[in-house]
Amino acid sequence: MAAEQKATTEEVKMDLFEDDDEFEEFEINEDWVEKEEVKEVGQQWEDDWDDDDVNDDFSLQLRKELETSSADKK
Amino acid sequence: MAYVSMGEAHRRITEYLNRFCDAVSYQDSSMLCRLLSFSSNSPSLISLADALNVFQDASSLIRQSEKFSEYGEILAHLFRSLQSYRVGNLVEAYLAFDKFANAFVQEFRNWESAWALEALYVVCYEIRILAEKADKELTSNGKSPEKLKAAGSLLMKVFGVLAGKGPKRVGALYVTCQLFKTYFKLGTVNLCRSVIRSIETARIFDFEEFPRRDKVTYMYYTGRLEVFNENFPAADTKLSYALQHCNPRRERNIRMILKYLIPVKLSLGIIPKDELLQKYNLHEYMNVVQALRKGDLRLLRHALQEHEDRFLRSGVYLVLEKLELQVYQRLMKKIYIIQKLSDPARAHQLKLEVIAKALRWLEIDMDLDEVECIMTILIYKNLVKGYLAHKSKVVVLSKQDPFPKLNGKPVSS
Repeated sequence: MAAEQKATTEEVKMDLFEDDDEFEEFEINEDWVEKEEVKEVGQQWEDDWDDDDVNDDFSLQLRKELETSSADKK
Repeated sequence: MAYVSMGEAHRRITEYLNRFCDAVSYQDSSMLCRLLSFSSNSPSLISLADALNVFQDASSLIRQSEKFSEYGEILAHLFRSLQSYRVGNLVEAYLAFDKFANAFVQEFRNWESAWALEALYVVCYEIRILAEKADKELTSNGKSPEKLKAAGSLLMKVFGVLAGKGPKRVGALYVTCQLFKTYFKLGTVNLCRSVIRSIETARIFDFEEFPRRDKVTYMYYTGRLEVFNENFPAADTKLSYALQHCNPRRERNIRMILKYLIPVKLSLGIIPKDELLQKYNLHEYMNVVQALRKGDLRLLRHALQEHEDRFLRSGVYLVLEKLELQVYQRLMKKIYIIQKLSDPARAHQLKLEVIAKALRWLEIDMDLDEVECIMTILIYKNLVKGYLAHKSKVVVLSKQDPFPKLNGKPVSS
């Protein structure tokens, strides 16, 4: 009996799956002019970000690390 | 509840009945919408509900008049639902609303033109919301929630009424979106498939002819489904469509689209600018992006750990976890560039030991066999071009384009 009850509560939890990202309802008559603003959002991406610059902090530290390693060996 | 006299109750109910019947005979859809919007909690609906609870026998009022009795079944169920709704008995309210909705859909089917489409939208929306509330009531009483599932069946029926040829077809996408919201909440997203097939294979109706708000919602949900299926180019197309066409004032919706679009873009080797993350308050992606830019494996792991719950809940965790290979690629490229600075002639030889040293610095402990394994994967996935000299424990990089860019294509599987 106890086991049965447990099974039901688990099922209940499964059924009550929440979707945190439920899209907000538009009004029945909602329409809009597609303004530049959102189009711009579409342009806020970089596909050519992969540069050869190694002067950022991370690269400088990496370089230091690698150079000490080769120095150790010599 | 304010005191309502019998006479006043009678007046309010008759007024509503007249308005309803007039709205139908004059095909006044927006009036009909107002009369059916339970969740709007409009003062006129509340005062009607109070009147119904005083008068009790509204069905005799409906029967007395020929004008009202034409829609007798619809109105009687609707009144019962509203009465229960007003006193907070949501399961009863749902059950009566379900009967009302069935009767309404039957009537709608007989109307030749699509004049009442907006009123049907309201019915579809209200039944979903009411079902969610009824399910909450059921769970809090220790019972199993099942009304949302039932609402799904009704919505499916409405979809069937609209999906054929003719002027009502334009409403099919709205119902589809209500079905998506239902199935995503129930966790039965595989049920979306049959409606999607029906929408996407229909030659008789061009997708672009659907209303903008439905197209955006549809693309958001089908985009999310493509993320779950790990079909990133398709997810990119759909979510980008939703982003570009969304109402710019709906910031919450734009943010939700980006929550899924960003991991998709990242997996295609495309990164968002910081302004975008800041504007829409998507700080959870900041470090993931930084990790990709730098080749910082430690930062990626920390970022995934820090927001693990959030990423798991939205279902993008696995997508983000797979970015690790791209971060490895970036790190190898950094090592290569650094070697080139001191010894250009031998820069294209990456010693496994040097890689292991860099990984140790990033708190990843790997022996040379494990490093070799990772490098084999990178070469196999075409993230590194070159070959492994197993005996000398060196990766020899190709002189041409040793670190190919993804160029909007996913890492090969």
